[in-house]
Amino acid sequence: MSASEKNKKSKKGIGSRIWYFFNSLKLTLFTLFSLASTSIIGTVVQQNEERRVYLMEYGEKWTDIIYQFKLNDMYHSEWFAALLGLLILNILVCTIERFPPKWRVVLANKPNFNPSFIDKLSTRKVFTVEDDAETVKERLRKIFKKKRYKFVSDESGEGYAVYGWRGRIGRFGSDFVHISLFVIIAGAIVGSVYGYKDFKVVTVGGGVSVKEADFTLRLDKFWIDYYETGQIRQYNSILTVLEEGKEVLSKQIWVNEPLLYKGIRFYQSSWGKHWRKIKTARMAFWPDGKEENEVVFMVGWEEKTKVPGTDYTVHLTGYVADFAVDEKSKSIFSKSIEPENPAINVTIYRGEKKISSRWIFQKYPDFYKVLPDSNDNFVFKAYRSVLFSGISVNKDPGTNWVWLGCSIMGLGVYMAFFIFYRRVWINIRSVGNSTEVKIGAMINKNQLAIEKDLEDIAKALAGSGK
Amino acid sequence: MDGPKVVMSLMFFTMAFAFYAITAVLYIGHWIFKKKWLGQTATAMAVIAAFAMTMMLISRAGESGHAPFSNLYESMALFIWALTIGYLIMEVKYKLKVIGAFVMSIAFLAMLAASMLPYRFKAVGPLNPALQNKWKWMVDLFEKFGLERYAIGWLDFHVFTTFIGYAAFAIAFGISIMYLIKVRGEKSGKEGGLMSKLPSSKMLDEISYRGIAWGFPFLGIGIVSGAVWANAAWGTYWSWDPKETWSLITWFVYAAYLHARVTRGWRGTKCAWVSILGFLAILFLYWGVSFILPGLHAYA
Repeated sequence: MSASEKNKKSKKGIGSRIWYFFNSLKLTLFTLFSLASTSIIGTVVQQNEERRVYLMEYGEKWTDIIYQFKLNDMYHSEWFAALLGLLILNILVCTIERFPPKWRVVLANKPNFNPSFIDKLSTRKVFTVEDDAETVKERLRKIFKKKRYKFVSDESGEGYAVYGWRGRIGRFGSDFVHISLFVIIAGAIVGSVYGYKDFKVVTVGGGVSVKEADFTLRLDKFWIDYYETGQIRQYNSILTVLEEGKEVLSKQIWVNEPLLYKGIRFYQSSWGKHWRKIKTARMAFWPDGKEENEVVFMVGWEEKTKVPGTDYTVHLTGYVADFAVDEKSKSIFSKSIEPENPAINVTIYRGEKKISSRWIFQKYPDFYKVLPDSNDNFVFKAYRSVLFSGISVNKDPGTNWVWLGCSIMGLGVYMAFFIFYRRVWINIRSVGNSTEVKIGAMINKNQLAIEKDLEDIAKALAGSGK
Repeated sequence: MDGPKVVMSLMFFTMAFAFYAITAVLYIGHWIFKKKWLGQTATAMAVIAAFAMTMMLISRAGESGHAPFSNLYESMALFIWALTIGYLIMEVKYKLKVIGAFVMSIAFLAMLAASMLPYRFKAVGPLNPALQNKWKWMVDLFEKFGLERYAIGWLDFHVFTTFIGYAAFAIAFGISIMYLIKVRGEKSGKEGGLMSKLPSSKMLDEISYRGIAWGFPFLGIGIVSGAVWANAAWGTYWSWDPKETWSLITWFVYAAYLHARVTRGWRGTKCAWVSILGFLAILFLYWGVSFILPGLHAYA
């Protein structure tokens, strides 16, 4: 590895310099620490908020800086993508550079049978056994079999030389992990290019239509389950798939249980009280504007109700939870979905004649006269909400790539951390009636494991390992 | 169900608390006085503490009707349990009781922190909608025997694997601190006293690395299972919520550690500091995010 690095550097071509840059492990460490430290920003600065939120929190100067560096959506910013790209390029070049030679070396298996090689290893043992060489060789075959080592031997040199190994596949664990990262990133890119995300608010009987799909959904039922303590246990929707007006299938969904149809998933995401629709309103009629003589009555959504004891008829035509007027278009809208200032729109008839159409406010019953030329008044007392079901719509064809990548990563991590590449060199030589044994060993990680193996093999060869 | 009964789990928690205190003191005593009986008693006490903690988790599950992984207090109990089991396995494997003085002290401090949590983090409560996830195949399988309430799901798997990771990193952290102390002693040449009773710096370096080599895959499984679950519950496998981002940050730090160690040959002091940095990130991931940064994981 270092030889090839030097080689690349000495050529000094611009191409190989770039190659050398991306081949460096310093770059890996730099990128990993940069990704780790910059990622912190996005957990402290709120993401994807409106400008005024940042202005309130950080003031004008810092808000400008936030926008300049896209810290308001930093995980999707160009510079963060560039850092990720740097890591990916780095991994790619390192893999191209290191994998083939590693593959060749590991597979070639050209062991060094020279006994002096053993002397250079830091983990080694030399001892004499009071048995003949054949017995020791037999013991060696046994212990190798027991410890699941493979081995090759050579008798052409001095004594009987053996090279044994185990866990060769572990050497490629890191390559599996690196390849898995490509697959995961590929999945993320596929998802962001071909994927689709949306959020729909729907009330019972209403429909969900998706641009990308040739079908629609209808919400048949929505309800909330409670625990005995009154806490919410679960909320559920029954969705029916419609193709060209025909019902195809129905499914109950809840949080953690989406509906999957033609590659698009529909999730139970939230629920709430609808901000533009109610079930019924409770109103009161104040004859001559006098509260003490009030007549209370109910009126249903988009229904006409005759006010008892009068010739007035009230038609409930609209509702907003948080009343506001758009200055430009003069249209009414709800500032939020919270019932901060609930108001209903009613049209009032005297007999058959329409005499007034007004917004009236629950919180300000006497805000203005509802009828233009009478002291008779109407007030908005209470209402029953309509619940909406919040459905997330999501199509992500990259998801399976991501899972595939994660599986490869799991395999790779297992190989890298729990399968060790153990190598043992042994030289067995007869000296008179006894046998001299030299053992040296190497491992790619977990020095303690190889020391134990060496110990066990030595004991077995000495005939005391039974 | 007014005033859920937590008597059993509280009793076991209190019992465990006492035994953790005794265990930590005994291990430290063993380190200082080097008496064999102190070490043996410490191990016995640690086993009892682990047993009490196991019982605490089981009784808590009985009281709440779900696996005890749903709030900060329950997750602390799980963390301490995993830390103790991990330590005991290590003690059997390496026979280095001195490490217990550090690791069991961490366990005791965690116990102290858990007991001091405000009530709202301790209360036993039912699971909110997002946390209710059980593997369908398991429910179907268990239903045949009428045991479907014992089926587990992504919540249990995700939290359990994550906390094995946390515990492994905590052990690595404790040993990294031991390493730094030991190296200081070796450098100043004061070989006597407490320093000499610590394992060799090479050994500490190696075991700390083994801790991280265990923690890293488990944290990885925790992150991935969280992504699978998020995809099932919310429709996105990754949404850069603070907990997710911090888990990735921690993962990056330990990935850097492993690369530096395996390919650049870093050893010793440098590695110990990265291990400490990594554990500080874990602490923030675990407590900091829950208390400071709001998000989907705010409950645990």
